Amino acid sequence: MKTENQKAWFLVLPVIALVAFNALVPLMTVVNYSVQETFGNNIFLWSGVRWFEEILASERFHAALTRQLIFTATILAIEIPLGVAIALAMPRKGPWVPVCLVLMALPLLIPWNVVGSMWNIFALPDIGLLGKGINALGIDYNYTQQPVAAWFTVILMDVWHWTSLVVLLAYAGLISIPDAYYQAARIDGARPWAVFRHIQLPKMKKVLTIAVLLRFMDSFMIYTEPSVLTGGGPGNSTTFLSIDLVKIALGQFDLGPAAAMSLIYFLITLLVSWVFYTLMTKDEAE
Amino acid sequence: MIRAAFATALTVAPSWALAQTSGWGSVGQPKEESFSWTQPLFGGFWMAWTPATLAFFAFIFAAIATMGLLEWRAPGAAPRHGVLGLDTTRGDRLFITLLGSAFIFLGWLALIGTPLWGPLALAVVWGAFVFWKV
Repeated sequence: MKTENQKAWFLVLPVIALVAFNALVPLMTVVNYSVQETFGNNIFLWSGVRWFEEILASERFHAALTRQLIFTATILAIEIPLGVAIALAMPRKGPWVPVCLVLMALPLLIPWNVVGSMWNIFALPDIGLLGKGINALGIDYNYTQQPVAAWFTVILMDVWHWTSLVVLLAYAGLISIPDAYYQAARIDGARPWAVFRHIQLPKMKKVLTIAVLLRFMDSFMIYTEPSVLTGGGPGNSTTFLSIDLVKIALGQFDLGPAAAMSLIYFLITLLVSWVFYTLMTKDEAE
Repeated sequence: MIRAAFATALTVAPSWALAQTSGWGSVGQPKEESFSWTQPLFGGFWMAWTPATLAFFAFIFAAIATMGLLEWRAPGAAPRHGVLGLDTTRGDRLFITLLGSAFIFLGWLALIGTPLWGPLALAVVWGAFVFWKV
């Protein structure tokens, strides 16, 4: 007797239709634009792979990509360990649990452009609490003029905004560990580091994979917050890939080069995410 | 004399006709349309299709559909352990082929440039390798 069928696939049809419209159609359009030249008015002229050659050879693209990679690597190196540390320090039971969770969730609820505006004012050297405070310590800090200060502010803002996500995911992984594991560790006389290394970290691996992937993709595509905070400046020092892309596409209306650049951008994101996901899930499959 | 004029007229007349068709005579005449891979398709539509890009996506969707058909006709695409140490199904191998091919083309463009027959051959070899060994 046959008890299984494939009818459940029909249930995912709405999702497929949605993805087709919000991802596939725009992606196909970008591919079409990337091999053509337009001056607007829906008139397109074939240009072959010229835009790809130009973008791949362009100093400006290399610089934006380098900045993007440094930014993403930096925030991952800060947010993941910090998030895990905070999750470990949070209470597992008692009245403080909901308080901590709500406090942690707060930054995630704030719209990105508001985060940018908040930090813009917060870090201003003449009226902002952070900016004035740092200057009062005798450190010359002005993120509107100094590239290092601008980088510091952008990274601090991202850490403030997104570490909570890592915390919540890591916390979800932590509370799912049954008490029996801890009891066994106590009987063996395991030190806290051993408990972390052999019980907590392996049990958090799945959620941390998701956390790293989400943070990688989000930070690699970051636009709104640095755009509002620094506008890509001073100079080009915080012009990340997406900010540069918007400058090319909307500022200069070079849709062809912008499309070619977004495809290269998309392929890099896809490759890194795939490699990372494959590496992290490889052991489970074996 | 008359004969010479007649001969001249016969020689020159075709060139007048030629001038009529290729010079100013063709102004305002509808141009003969022939198929081109790079001409806009569905004129004025915002997605800016051309036959070349349409063929590109048709190829990708056909490849995905082929994977589906294969799975339907010959189920048993349980993941296999390949040379890269990965467990891959047919769909995974198609994904690796396409993603790898994209980077083969980009790398060739960045280091060598056009024409792109070289990376096309490389991509085909890469695809064959992935489906055979990975």
